[in-house]
Amino acid sequence: MQITVNGRPAEIPDERGGDPLLWVLRETLGLTGTKFGCGQGLCGACMVHLDGAAVRSCQISAGEAAGHSITTIEGLAGETLHPVQQAWIAESVPQCGYCQAGQIMSAAALLREIPRPDDAAIDAAMAGNLCRCGTYQRIRKAIHRAAGQPS
Amino acid sequence: MTALVGRGMSRRNLFAHAARLAAGVTVFAAAPACAFNPLPALPTRDMPPAEARIAWLRLRPDGRVQLLLPRQEMGQGISVGLRQIVAEELAEYLNGELERVEVVLPDTAAIAPVKSTVGSDSMKDFAAPVARAAALLREHLARGGSATELHDTGQPVTLRSLRAGGRHVGQGHPTERIADIVTGAPSLYAGDIRLPGMLFGLVLPADAELPALSPGLRPVELSDGRRGLLSDHAGPLHAASFDRSAAQRAMPDLDIDAALQRGRLEHRLRSDTVEAGAGWTLDRRYDIPFAAHAQIEPRAAVAQWHSRDAAVQLEVWTGTQDAFFVRETLARQFGLSADRVLVHACRIGGGFGARTIVRQELEAALLAQAAGRPVKVQWSRAAEFADGFHRPPSSHRIRARVSPDGRITDWWHGFCSGHVIFTSAAMPRWMQAVTSFIKDPGVARGALPPYAAGRMRVEFSDIRLPVDTGPWRGLGAGPNGYAIESAIDELAQLAGQDPLRFRLANLDPQHGRLKACLEAVRDLSGWNTTAPSGTGRGIACGIYKETSYAAVVAEVQVAGDGAPRVTHLWCAQDSGLVINPDQVRAQIEGNLLWGLGMVLTECLPIEGGRVAAYTFADYPIPTMDAMPAIDIALIEPPGTLPSGAGETAMVAVAAIANAIAATTGGRVLTLPYQPHSAA
Repeated sequence: MQITVNGRPAEIPDERGGDPLLWVLRETLGLTGTKFGCGQGLCGACMVHLDGAAVRSCQISAGEAAGHSITTIEGLAGETLHPVQQAWIAESVPQCGYCQAGQIMSAAALLREIPRPDDAAIDAAMAGNLCRCGTYQRIRKAIHRAAGQPS
Repeated sequence: MTALVGRGMSRRNLFAHAARLAAGVTVFAAAPACAFNPLPALPTRDMPPAEARIAWLRLRPDGRVQLLLPRQEMGQGISVGLRQIVAEELAEYLNGELERVEVVLPDTAAIAPVKSTVGSDSMKDFAAPVARAAALLREHLARGGSATELHDTGQPVTLRSLRAGGRHVGQGHPTERIADIVTGAPSLYAGDIRLPGMLFGLVLPADAELPALSPGLRPVELSDGRRGLLSDHAGPLHAASFDRSAAQRAMPDLDIDAALQRGRLEHRLRSDTVEAGAGWTLDRRYDIPFAAHAQIEPRAAVAQWHSRDAAVQLEVWTGTQDAFFVRETLARQFGLSADRVLVHACRIGGGFGARTIVRQELEAALLAQAAGRPVKVQWSRAAEFADGFHRPPSSHRIRARVSPDGRITDWWHGFCSGHVIFTSAAMPRWMQAVTSFIKDPGVARGALPPYAAGRMRVEFSDIRLPVDTGPWRGLGAGPNGYAIESAIDELAQLAGQDPLRFRLANLDPQHGRLKACLEAVRDLSGWNTTAPSGTGRGIACGIYKETSYAAVVAEVQVAGDGAPRVTHLWCAQDSGLVINPDQVRAQIEGNLLWGLGMVLTECLPIEGGRVAAYTFADYPIPTMDAMPAIDIALIEPPGTLPSGAGETAMVAVAAIANAIAATTGGRVLTLPYQPHSAA
């Protein structure tokens, strides 16, 4: 089967069709930027974009992604870093960094849908991305920054 | 430095080592799974000698300097902080550019063994040695010397970096590898490592039934007697589910009153005679449950065996707080000399004390040995709950008396807890028996209040539990601080005094730095102004390991259904000289969040003597929408050196509980807070 990943066609063996997309991305395709945090759909570390919408890659199979377009953290930047990535650096968001790919993917999807979100919209969109190090207030500031608005 | 090899170790030597434990050093043993390790490795290590320390720095041909980091990076920012120190000392050789210092996470062959990265000790213990090494290199280069001739003979050298206001020191640079983190660059964490021919594997718990084997899953016998599963692909392995034993295990009830009825508590930290006399002003019990680390990266490791005549026979990649302990454990397990085991320390996706035992590394090595190919082990989230160790529960009773003028005349604190340092997660049973007469320094942490009292008695018992317990961020300081600061707060209320003024009046006069934190947070939060209507405020303070000070004010709003919402947290922290204020603030932000979780949501469910949590739904941790506004003041007394920043502001737990009490009128006596259940 074929999945478009970061703009390129990826051939996935049919036997992998039942595997969660997360493992196919990480181990079959070697795109390890998408992280495994729980595999149970609760932490958000595995967030990717499927046709532009944020989805938990541990909760969809590779087969379900076939024929669709997947963007991972590795594919978020174009010629320059995505505004969310730039904001993450400017606000010094990460501590251990492990949850941040998922946070960034959720934030980027939010800003595509709501270009200037208020705090309530940010909370609603980001509540499913867990961070144990305590970077939430920096994430919020970075999202406001990426949206071009004061936090 | 002592890596014990068991044979011939006498009982007397063992007691001598056990006595060292009481001095507050961290002690762990190898995983008890193997029958053939008579004595565990003790990862307590002295600072390596001077010659080894200058080897942390390498001058490259292009003039850049490499810092081989003598610590592990888990997001606490030690990489960037030490990088700033090196850049400060060597500024003129680096064109003043921080970028010309490259931080490398070393493997166990690259540097001499150093102690575990625990206890918020990294900056406290390593700032000066790293600064000295860099300063020696600077002055050596100034005299025209080449890097290979550099020696440390104890010669005097001027340090530039260990004071405020430098070009790099005092600046808030972001964490190392931030660009790689935000772009998903490869091989940051152990689970990202991919080797040619690599398989995926797991070790079955001893009490597990072998699952129905789907295609692609093959069982394997391991050299330590356990069984494993191997797969060519990660997906099928993660889908494999197996039933564990449901046999109930007896869980001792952690009940301080029952423990007191049985007799005196085992260990005393203060022994004044404190008697009931005419009655207590305060007589309260506090009960605190198990808690999980819940770091977002479930532990992972990759192991690869090389041929018998290779210099390195076993190579391992892992996220660990002690790569040398991993090496020692694996070397002992497989009968190899340490130099034939190479451990690559990867960035850790959340440590918090959880990454101090050897588990997945040993599993990967056993599986790779059986498979004849490299193997990656990736623990599941369910395994983190079931097979990891957790913060022990504790039960406290505090009795205190105040004089009519609001001074504490008597303070008695008795508590019982599961083990923290002398933990079943890491020690074989016989060693636990030997250490049972020594105070567990982790349980004791933070149990001595910073207040003066006419008479003070602090005593505790630690109890072995069937669920593995061990160090969790702050160790005993979180639970003990919560009990102490809740009691102090209620004492103030009973004495008719403002809780801040009461604390200031009763502070032990030697704690001027804590007084400064209390005054700073008073000003930062506007403590003396009226809280917005419908909210209440609480305050708490504490000292971590005698060298780091914090005071926190919390503001809480309670909804109609009784559910509290923390609306604001203010913290003033003094952890000495600040190398990187942004990283110190980040640590405080983390502690404040952990305090919030402790009060509002975190309780590890136990059933039948076993952990009954399998997902984050069973163990909720704070989410973005729970985050309050945060304001932080860093206090940096002139002339101080850095002390620990990573665990002090956990006193927020009591500030929040005290704010709930101020808002609802009811004290929070058990954690997590349940509306309508407070006293």
